[in-house]
Amino acid sequence: MDRTEYNDDKLDALWAAYRDACPDPEPSAGFTPGLWKRIEARRSTNLMVFRRLAQLCAGATLALTVLMGLVLIPHLEQTPAVSTTYADALAAEHPNTYVDIFAGEIK
Amino acid sequence: MLVEFELIERARSGDDGAFNQVVQAYRKRILGTIARLIGRPEDVEDVGQEVFVRLYYSLDQLRTPEVFEPWLYRLTVNAAYDYLRRQRRRQESRMSDLSEQQVLLADALAGGKQRQEEERRTKIREMVDSLLGKVSEEDRILLTLKEVEGLSLKELEKIYGVNENALKVRLFRARQRVLKAYEAQE
Repeated sequence: MDRTEYNDDKLDALWAAYRDACPDPEPSAGFTPGLWKRIEARRSTNLMVFRRLAQLCAGATLALTVLMGLVLIPHLEQTPAVSTTYADALAAEHPNTYVDIFAGEIK
Repeated sequence: MLVEFELIERARSGDDGAFNQVVQAYRKRILGTIARLIGRPEDVEDVGQEVFVRLYYSLDQLRTPEVFEPWLYRLTVNAAYDYLRRQRRRQESRMSDLSEQQVLLADALAGGKQRQEEERRTKIREMVDSLLGKVSEEDRILLTLKEVEGLSLKELEKIYGVNENALKVRLFRARQRVLKAYEAQE
């Protein structure tokens, strides 16, 4: 048996001894109540995070709405969406059509 | 399985009473595994509670109750790994030092055979802890699960989510590293 093989066997024996030297510990009386405290604490932390996130989202939405109102409304008021009438626009696009029609009617 | 599948199903659907029963059934085994994985008796309950808190908040992700035990072991391994990493980062991992509980236990023991037996156990724990302190957290956890906890390759496959051959290679290399540390210590 070479040295490595010998140490290999000793290592196996050491694992077994370690297993015996570390039996399963008995949980203390406070284990389960402590566990539920931690569960509750994490639950309220999660709720607080969600609440904070919701507040942030609401704040950001409000700020964006106010900003859009301040920037866009004056801009829209200055540039009317329709600056000419429908008839004017038609006349500008087809300047001769009306003349022909009216000319035909007169004839 | 220490509990019925039906109890796991009930715990999974949000029944706190059922979850409590699952905790009662598994806590001793899990605390034992953690004790052997981290080697610091005074922190075992803290890590154990963390395992069950994680279980509580991840139980809805469990596909079927059949895979409950490997799932619980995976959570245990992850919590132990996080603990060991934190300890290493804080440089508090003085494996050769006696832990608080060990000191208290040694003080409390009255002498005679019981004391001798406890001294022998403490020596073995210190020796293995010191040995495992010389390899990575991954090696430490894998070897403890295989050699000390006695988990089979099939069980380790489910916990680690890798195939048997890859596990054999990892185990062989981890064992070689521990053996090297053991030879250097001798």
